[in-house]
Amino acid sequence: MQESPPCQLSFQNLYRSFGRLAVLRGVSGEVSTGQTLLVTGANGSGKSTLLKCLAGLMVPDRGEISYRQDNTQLDARERRLAIGYVAPDLSFYEELTVEENLLFFARLRRTSEDRIGHLLERVNLPPDRSAGTLSSGMLQRLRWCFALLHQPRLLLLDEPFQNLDSPGQDATRSLLEQHLDEGLAVTANPGLLELPHVAHHLQLAG
Amino acid sequence: MSHTTSSWLAEAFAVFAKEWRTEFRTRYALNTLGLFAITSLVVVSISLGPLGAATAERTTVMPVLLWVLLLFAVAAGLPRAFVHEEESRTATALRLSATPSALFTGKLLYSWTVVLALELIVTPLFVAMMHLPVANPGLLALALVLGGYGLAAGGTLVAAIIAQARSSGTLFSVLALPVLLPLLVLAIELSRAAIAGDFVPVVPRQLLLYDASVTVAGLLLFPAVWNP
Repeated sequence: MQESPPCQLSFQNLYRSFGRLAVLRGVSGEVSTGQTLLVTGANGSGKSTLLKCLAGLMVPDRGEISYRQDNTQLDARERRLAIGYVAPDLSFYEELTVEENLLFFARLRRTSEDRIGHLLERVNLPPDRSAGTLSSGMLQRLRWCFALLHQPRLLLLDEPFQNLDSPGQDATRSLLEQHLDEGLAVTANPGLLELPHVAHHLQLAG
Repeated sequence: MSHTTSSWLAEAFAVFAKEWRTEFRTRYALNTLGLFAITSLVVVSISLGPLGAATAERTTVMPVLLWVLLLFAVAAGLPRAFVHEEESRTATALRLSATPSALFTGKLLYSWTVVLALELIVTPLFVAMMHLPVANPGLLALALVLGGYGLAAGGTLVAAIIAQARSSGTLFSVLALPVLLPLLVLAIELSRAAIAGDFVPVVPRQLLLYDASVTVAGLLLFPAVWNP
């Protein structure tokens, strides 16, 4: 099997404030293909803000973010469309079913719709269930499907196992392990997590 | 057509189709716009109906009333185009998936079809309830299509600007007025010409120019407004 060119994400001296409240103060780190960067810290320490900056959903006040994928340097706009993102503030159209939501996002991402059935099967989510009637654990499974739909190389995971039961955690850990064969991940969680291939650990001060 | 263009069109169509699918399930926009328009129409017809205005005044007054009625109905529903995405927190998933220009185009096409549906219901009722003779119905249809597009394009652009603001309803009215004012003047003039039967060819061209300008402005401004 032909190997994909390596990917690398690095960020140096990231600063982000909300008014007078400084949330990120000179945060740096890096992660490469096959690795996980685990970011831990108390509530309000800036984990979600860091992931939003890395995803291109928020602009840092200062600092550099560099992401190389397939020998190409991606800017914030390209990075935003290329990554996979799981976060508690990610919601879906409640009027549509699980499958309709994923079909819609697959069309926007110009990716094959064939993968939807496979992902739903892996996380054991009923395709015809309305997204508005999902439990919090099922919604978290849908977030995982959304993140992996376009087979991204970089996964940004904000509290990725939140609300998941034991089978749900097993299924998503297995998806993460498989993803790390050719991809990389940054995972944020208040405490330490049992994760595959953790190469770096970044502790954010509260 | 290149692969990139066809993909972009497919993306815009996906947004358009999603908007109508959710609309058919909630009927929010159609109910809001429709009820507002019909209620206003009844009030206007009772006050200024067939006997309420002199024949000479009708050619001047009726097109103004029709477009004010359409504007207010649109202002009651269109601001939701992006506000709803922010309120229901689906905006993050959209930002991670959609090309901004395709998203804007899909939302604009949806808004235009909603406005056309509204015009299709309101205008025949307006003409019938006011006993309004229209000398050139084709020209009135042109005014409604071009004016409706302008309302949708201007409304969608302003809706995108106010999406992340508090008091978005008030802000929509304040920002939409200067954007939509030239459109309303032209649409009213063309509708007046259609009713009176004195066609001025420069007005449709000016309406087309307005529609094109707002579309280009929207496509250029939207990525900056939508993305962080």
